[in-house]
Amino acid sequence: MSLKDLLSPFFVWQRAFEKPWTNMRPIEERPGAPAYRGFHINLADSCIGCGSCHSICQNEAIDMVPVEEFSGRPGDSGLRPRFDYGRCCWCALCVDICTANSLHMSNEYTWLARDPTDYHFTAGVEEKPWQDSELGYHRAEGYHLYPPKRIDMDMLTADESVQSFDEVVNGYSEEQAKLEADRCVECGICVATCPAHMDVPDYIRSIRDGDFETGLQLMYRTNPFPATCGRICTHRCEEVCPVGITGQPIAIRWLKRFIVDQVDSIDYARILDSEIIENGHKVAVIGAGPGGLSAAYYLRKKGYSVTVYESQETGGGMLRYGVPSYRLPDDALDKDIDYIISVGVDIRYNTIIGKDVMFEDLLGEYDAIFLSTGLSVPSSMRINGEDHPRVLSGLQVLADVARGKDPGIGRKVAVIGGGNVAMDAARVSRRLGADVDILYRRRISEMPADPEEIKESQEEKCNLVEKAIPVEIMDTGSKKQVTIKWGEAEMVQDPKGGRPRPVLQEDRMHTETYDCIISAIGQGSNLDFITPAVQEQLAIEWGKFTPGEYQRSELEKIFVGGDVANRTADAISAIEDGHHAARGIDRFLKPGAYAEN
Amino acid sequence: MNTVDEILDYAIEQEQQAADFYAELALRAEKAGMKQVLLDFADEEMSHKKRLLAVKNGKHELTPEEEVLDLKISDYLVEVDATDDISYQDALIIAMKRERAAYELYTDMAANIPDSHLKEVITGLAKEEAKHKLFFESEYDDRVLMDN
Repeated sequence: MSLKDLLSPFFVWQRAFEKPWTNMRPIEERPGAPAYRGFHINLADSCIGCGSCHSICQNEAIDMVPVEEFSGRPGDSGLRPRFDYGRCCWCALCVDICTANSLHMSNEYTWLARDPTDYHFTAGVEEKPWQDSELGYHRAEGYHLYPPKRIDMDMLTADESVQSFDEVVNGYSEEQAKLEADRCVECGICVATCPAHMDVPDYIRSIRDGDFETGLQLMYRTNPFPATCGRICTHRCEEVCPVGITGQPIAIRWLKRFIVDQVDSIDYARILDSEIIENGHKVAVIGAGPGGLSAAYYLRKKGYSVTVYESQETGGGMLRYGVPSYRLPDDALDKDIDYIISVGVDIRYNTIIGKDVMFEDLLGEYDAIFLSTGLSVPSSMRINGEDHPRVLSGLQVLADVARGKDPGIGRKVAVIGGGNVAMDAARVSRRLGADVDILYRRRISEMPADPEEIKESQEEKCNLVEKAIPVEIMDTGSKKQVTIKWGEAEMVQDPKGGRPRPVLQEDRMHTETYDCIISAIGQGSNLDFITPAVQEQLAIEWGKFTPGEYQRSELEKIFVGGDVANRTADAISAIEDGHHAARGIDRFLKPGAYAEN
Repeated sequence: MNTVDEILDYAIEQEQQAADFYAELALRAEKAGMKQVLLDFADEEMSHKKRLLAVKNGKHELTPEEEVLDLKISDYLVEVDATDDISYQDALIIAMKRERAAYELYTDMAANIPDSHLKEVITGLAKEEAKHKLFFESEYDDRVLMDN
């Protein structure tokens, strides 16, 4: 070893005290460009957890994870996107697809952490310095990965529709249905919101695939009234459809109808596998409306012998006698009911419980009973003169029209009420050639009728008079006319909260003479057929049952559902009640089959 | 009735009679669920009675100056009978009309009494009855006039 080699470490050490030639941070920090695709920002309050970001991510860098504070919000899955920055390539497809437009990117691009798992984070939930950054990539206004506007439905014009009872909605063509189905992001938020939890994304996919038989099978898993619901469902699914946040919601109801319309009823048995293995148990169903027939169908599929008792001459309940044919034609309703009958459900029409058949006999004869008798008794206004012969019930007018009878309404009609029965009574009256005033106590915005019913009734030139309180019915001396006295209302805030209440202004009264007045202020139940001894054992509040788990009443073999047992009083809820009760009855009668659960 | 105590005793007795009326009707009621509704009405009247007892004992004050919302629903409804097969709607009409009658009685009494202290007490009772009327009218508005 030379002397130089021996001394060289000492020469190196002398440089240890010199100013370094290198920098601790080799480059100056530069901000990202204003639209840089940096770290993700999620406005977690606006996000509804639809999972579109997760579905579109090509690198599987996004998981949807539950976040407690968002759990249980209506129309919200309670999930939020969690990013894995070991996988993300910052392509921004997640931002482009975001239905709620809650996902953006900051222009921040440096993040140092020692633990690799730190690079997994739930944007908008875990605090990050860039969450409030206004810069970074945002989806351009008006830019959508899917068309935001729904495919228009071909409908009769208002002038055409009042000329007849023909169905107003014509339905989608296959080309239109496929285009509309293409807009669905398959998030499934609708499934959670639908009372029957129909598998909407999958049956919409069946349209894209052109596989309508699979679509029909999927629908019948939870709803044996798809032709009906494809027309008159209250479609709460569409209210929460995330595509509707920045555009128009998917026309889920019309797509359901499209599938049913593509399949001939003659093929139903083959497609829906009608094989039934009898189990020896007998169940009675009271009421052949959507709730009763839904229970009957699912019970029959489980092998029960099912007898449905119906007071009317045909099935459907309010769907038949309360929903006019321009919204739900008989052949569509019959398509649903005929298939239910075809699987072996026995319906005994024109049979009144408590008169033709006694309730206590049913209790003895059957292993279980499902009650779904609906709300069939029209409420009375209880004002002076209401018993005038020219005051008709809205339910009776609709039932007469459904049976092809002339309800004899005349040419000038006042309809009292703001629910769907009132709207339908008014629209039916227009079709029968009458001029119609609808008198409603509150404001139009507070009407309980479906918004589209209100809109269409106005388009059909029903004159909607809001804040009008009827106070008296007066005889005109003519058998063909009647006079109503009504007063204007002022809406006053209830000191205890809740919706404002109408208060009659006695100095602003009006009188008007009509050919008839149609009262449609609501309807209640008739449970007189249940013997008093049984009634006393059932929990009934304000004319409605209050069912427990699986729609079971306080009496173990009696199950209840439909309008007489729920608050929503719509067809889809009744259908789900029936399905749910069928599962409950099955658990009750075959406890061994569920022992492991 | 010349003293505050006499007037309050009368009002308390009226509330007791109302409670007894609903309890007796509940015994006769035939329709499903009506017994419980009428017993709830009886409980409501007993709560009114308790409130007036508290006034008499000095634990609670009437508020004659308080404005009470008048929905005027019962004013234009027909009289109905308390039959065995009474319905929800009719039970509420009876309740509303009873409270309205009591309100009008106290209002008339207050108008004809010269003693200012007594007048204030009776006006306070009228306001109590107006509140009870509002309670039943709100129930009617929510439960019977749902579609109207």
